[in-house]
Amino acid sequence: MSDTTATAPVPQEESTKLGMWVFLGGEVVFFVALITIFLLARLVNPDYNAQFRSHLSIPVIALNTFILVTSSYFMVRALEAIVHGDQKGMRNNLLGVIILGLLFLGGQAFEWTSLFAEGVSYTTVFGMPFFTLTGIHGTHVFIGVLWAIYILVGHRRIPYTQENHHGIENFGLYWHFVDIVWIVLFTLIYLI
Amino acid sequence: MSHATTEKRTSYLGIFIILIVLTLIETLVSYVQNEAIKFPVLIGLSVIKAVLVLLYFMHLKFDSRIYTYLFVAGCVLAIPLILVMTIVMPRLAGH
Repeated sequence: MSDTTATAPVPQEESTKLGMWVFLGGEVVFFVALITIFLLARLVNPDYNAQFRSHLSIPVIALNTFILVTSSYFMVRALEAIVHGDQKGMRNNLLGVIILGLLFLGGQAFEWTSLFAEGVSYTTVFGMPFFTLTGIHGTHVFIGVLWAIYILVGHRRIPYTQENHHGIENFGLYWHFVDIVWIVLFTLIYLI
Repeated sequence: MSHATTEKRTSYLGIFIILIVLTLIETLVSYVQNEAIKFPVLIGLSVIKAVLVLLYFMHLKFDSRIYTYLFVAGCVLAIPLILVMTIVMPRLAGH
């Protein structure tokens, strides 16, 4: 006699969500490696505050952090809207995520431009890990913005529904993870 | 709108407000000169914020435990990586 529970197929939406969590687990390892390199640079060179941190603008970055945290709230509202069949609510909140994501990238571009103007380059002992770390995080935000635009555009062809919303759920997991990484970077790079 | 929906929205809004307030506190604490106080407080606030996003916005509190295990597995796998980068590699490099 066959065991029906052992042979029952896993629903596709569950497997994609599982795949997203596996991906995020891998991303944790990736970002921990980059953060460790940055912290090692700080440990080896005790002049971090004088040489580098004095160039960073805490108010600007705090504002950027508020923007990304707010975008996470918009994201969770977008998912909640489509779970309840509210397509307009989903679209509006996703648009909010895109706008806030772009604002975050604008803030980062402003920060980088200011640092370059003050003579902080990629080749310095702190510049290299800093620009690598924040650059890779910024790339994740940029990919997230593109993903959100793809969802909004694709939604016109094949609308997400109350029953079929797992694409948005998976994007939400990615976006919140990017937010968590920034929460950690904000503390380790800018505040401590 | 059902009672459950209203409750969930309130809960998301509550978490969002907590995250904003904690970020504000972090920013203010960063100006404190006493490193012995500043360091643990900022690390603690950062961990609380990350866990709140994981539990509520990413639904780990309500979803299957398998997702939590996968995420924790990533964190556990990072530990030997940190040890290699901070202990083994500097020794190999002769520091």
